[in-house]
Amino acid sequence: MDEEPERAKRWEGGYERTWEVLKEDESGSLKATVEDILFQAKRKRVFEGHGQVRLGMMRHLFVIIDSSRSMEDQDLKPNRLTSTLKLMEFFVEEYFDQNPISQIGIITTKNKRAEKLTDLAGNPKKHLAALKKVVDSTCVGEPSLYNSLNVAMQTLKHMPAHTSKEILVIFSSLTTCDPANIYELIKTLNALKIRVSVIGLSAEVRVCTILTRETGGSYNVILDESHFKELLMLHVKPPPASSSSECSLIRMGFPQHVIASMSDQDAKPSFSMSHLDSTGEPGLTLGGYYCPQCRAKYTELPVECKVCGLTLVSAPHLARSFHHLFPLEAFQETPLEEYEGERFCEACQGELKDKSVFTCLACKKVFCVECDLFIHDTLHCCPGCMQTDRTS
Amino acid sequence: FRLNIDGLLVCFPYDYIYPEQYSYMLELKRTLDAKGHGVLEMPSGTGKTISLLSLIVAYQKAYPLEVTKLIYCSRTVPEIEKVVEELKKLMDYYTKQTEAKNDFLALALSSRKNLCIHPEILHANIVVYSYNYLLDPKIADLVSKELAKKSVVVFDEAHNIDNVCIDSMSVNITRRTLDRCQTNVETLQNTISRIKETDAAKLQEEYRRLVEGLTEANVARETDMYLSNPVLPDEILQEAVPGSIRTAEHFVGFMKRFLEYLKARLRIHHVVQESTPQFLKDIYEKVCIDRKPLRFCAERLRSLLRTLEIADIADFSAITLISHFATLVSTYNKGFTIIIEPFEDRTPTIANPVLHFSCMDPSIAIKPVFGRFQSVIITSGTLSPLDIYPRILDFRPVTVASFTMTLARTCLCPLIVGRGNDQVAMTSKFETREDFAVIRNYGNLLLEMSAIVPDGIVAFFTSYIYMENIVASWYEQGILENIQRNKLIFIETQDAAETSMALMLNKNKISCKRLFISFSFQPPVHHYGRAVIVFGVPYVYTQSRILKARLEYLRDQFQIRENDFLTFDAMRHAAQCVGRAIRGKTDYGLMIFADKRYARADKRGKLPRWIQEHLTDGSLNLTIDETVQLGKHFLRQMAQPFRQEDQLGLSLLTLEQLQSEDMLQKIAQIAQA
Repeated sequence: MDEEPERAKRWEGGYERTWEVLKEDESGSLKATVEDILFQAKRKRVFEGHGQVRLGMMRHLFVIIDSSRSMEDQDLKPNRLTSTLKLMEFFVEEYFDQNPISQIGIITTKNKRAEKLTDLAGNPKKHLAALKKVVDSTCVGEPSLYNSLNVAMQTLKHMPAHTSKEILVIFSSLTTCDPANIYELIKTLNALKIRVSVIGLSAEVRVCTILTRETGGSYNVILDESHFKELLMLHVKPPPASSSSECSLIRMGFPQHVIASMSDQDAKPSFSMSHLDSTGEPGLTLGGYYCPQCRAKYTELPVECKVCGLTLVSAPHLARSFHHLFPLEAFQETPLEEYEGERFCEACQGELKDKSVFTCLACKKVFCVECDLFIHDTLHCCPGCMQTDRTS
Repeated sequence: FRLNIDGLLVCFPYDYIYPEQYSYMLELKRTLDAKGHGVLEMPSGTGKTISLLSLIVAYQKAYPLEVTKLIYCSRTVPEIEKVVEELKKLMDYYTKQTEAKNDFLALALSSRKNLCIHPEILHANIVVYSYNYLLDPKIADLVSKELAKKSVVVFDEAHNIDNVCIDSMSVNITRRTLDRCQTNVETLQNTISRIKETDAAKLQEEYRRLVEGLTEANVARETDMYLSNPVLPDEILQEAVPGSIRTAEHFVGFMKRFLEYLKARLRIHHVVQESTPQFLKDIYEKVCIDRKPLRFCAERLRSLLRTLEIADIADFSAITLISHFATLVSTYNKGFTIIIEPFEDRTPTIANPVLHFSCMDPSIAIKPVFGRFQSVIITSGTLSPLDIYPRILDFRPVTVASFTMTLARTCLCPLIVGRGNDQVAMTSKFETREDFAVIRNYGNLLLEMSAIVPDGIVAFFTSYIYMENIVASWYEQGILENIQRNKLIFIETQDAAETSMALMLNKNKISCKRLFISFSFQPPVHHYGRAVIVFGVPYVYTQSRILKARLEYLRDQFQIRENDFLTFDAMRHAAQCVGRAIRGKTDYGLMIFADKRYARADKRGKLPRWIQEHLTDGSLNLTIDETVQLGKHFLRQMAQPFRQEDQLGLSLLTLEQLQSEDMLQKIAQIAQA
């Protein structure tokens, strides 16, 4: 994903955009461009994350991927489905990276039916494999929002109350074929405290607006591929837990990784417990993680122990989800005219050209917009502060 | 909050105000100060109603002697209900602010079942009702004639006011009307003979009254108490009812003769068009009916009905209609025409004779309103071009202004599609409208749009017949089937009531999915939808004789060229249709004009300013593909989250922002005369 952002490629966006942009420049200060509003929203997101809120760290998320006829549209390259699946793979990895104790499941819908691709599980490998398989499938018929929500709901409703129950719909079609009144279903979802968010690939559809508004989710429509990715990444961050959800302590195991070298005579190759139900992969390995409770062996973490049901995580995993709880303080925004000092960004060393500059409150270092976003979205720590920490 | 509008303190019941509302109120205030009439255009969804109400109420409170009453006329019952809703909010706010008992009385008259003719109306400070109460001479007489002179009259949604005026003064007589009238006359005759036996004194009393003449009414008018009724011309009042129709039997006999004459006139095989003097001459020669008794017909009939104490007036609608016709035809020499058609143009084999007594001059009906009330405000979302209304309604406004919509984002997207992908020009021009390629291109446009527009699309056709033709041909070409894969299709019927009924029944289906296309040919009774497509320029049927006569009249009397008027009429219709795409500032919608003729300056220039503003050179004469591209882009942009804060300071103002210097300067630019 290190290619330059899609929005920069004007030739791909279609010829109509060139004068669109010009027009917006000419129309003066009265009309703020949509891009401006978007930028404000982006900043706002950074701030929003900074309240002292309880987050639903243990997430159960169902992703519903529309694979109806409209997914063959080629406005995302090479087509909507391929593009979506590619981003989904990235999303799944990122999701488990940031939410080690959460689970994900994937549902596809086409031809008026909903099909469960993978069940709720905490292991990215299975999901990634399943996603790869879908690429070749054809997109036919209409999606069914009702059916797919219903499938997700059937599983989610049995999840314990302290977990965060979420559904993310990637919806490309403008229509849905529902066997029953969807508003009833929305009520049920609301009662079960299942949060439904939608990412629309074509335009704002009213039923989705209502669905997300009622269940407390978010509804966004993509502008292009890079925006799509941005929107998808928003869902990586755990949402604030609803105040009514109960608290409970969860037992977790921190298994140690035992490395056995080939030269070690005592080491015997053995199967991992997670290979029990997956076929085809080579099973015998030497080392692994052993459950502290029952000594079952696993090759990767995080996982739920098949034998005793203990959640097995590694300490770095847990630490990584820490920054959600203690995020980096927002930088102070000052207009460029008012800023006096050297005009280069502390992080990228580039010249400060944007409307405003951002100052870290702790180390007083200055950053540009892009770096500000990068620091808050990805790094989660201020490079300026790190440097001063080390030198002092 | 409280606003200072040019020295007047106005209570505004919302926390925020749109800049154009402020500007609108300024203009309104100016109009009231000058005690003159005004024509104001402001886009729908920008809070016209509340601006009007809050300013005029404040004005009433500040200068109770200058303005005593607000008469607010709107078109339909739902619109009236909306006004009442806003009014309630305003009143609540007033009570909260002043904590004093509210002494304002507001009254709404909507449908017949809510009709109120209680004298209470005389004391109400605000009266909200339908146009007809003021314009239709038959109803105006009952309800509105005692309204004080120092009232402010507001015609909301007044883009069609000339047609309302004309309709209220026109009479159509079919054979059926005459038949029913015949029965009416017989009933009258029977009742009279019965009463004669039982209560002859009553008839005697009426006779005496009629000899004295309508002096009573005359006195009233001279003392300026009543709104003059255009049906009842001044001359009548000075005279007594002529002897030939004074007694009840004579009058009934007179009506019978008149009726027979009309029946004879309807028995024709070719179209006859004549002026009112011609008609009067003919009737004098044939059945010796003089002009004078004809004039008194309406009054005489009313008096008779009152005397006979007939409760159910509705039964006598036919004879009332005829009597109105008699009075009108003998009163006005100019501005009316009589057309007798033996059959409809569409069905030349079926005899269905109709006598159209058609008013061609809307100013006749509205003249007493302009003459009597000190301020008359005509306002709507679409009144462009503004100068034409004063001309056809024959009045001199003190303020003429059009307001634009200040927007934080460009939430409307007008596009003019001129060509299909095969480069064939798209137009509903008469010569090419049946062209296969044009119809196919129209179909393709709708098909492509149905694939990218979420929720509903409303498609307008120039006429019902054209819609039937096109839809039939789409069906044959399989286009309809393809469209149905994307959306439900809903086809409106010619009957507005039936349509709204059907919509109600399917509401669950529609609001659930909101995926449908509505085919329509008149401004909609509903507004679901993210896109409005107007297929062709909605010119009226120019072959109609009534229209031809009216165009001629306009040319001779007002120096308005036929073409100018036709274009004006077509464009206001189109603007009215697309105007429904947007309900407010947070809403958004595509407006697609599918005819290459829209791109011409004479058509484009007649669109309201708030639509024209967004019509750039890049959105003219597009192909279907380009339209789809632009539409897709627009819909995605608009789907981005949009919060109130984004609007604040740009298109939504708090009190402090409103008072800032440069905002006031900006506001000054909003209004444009």
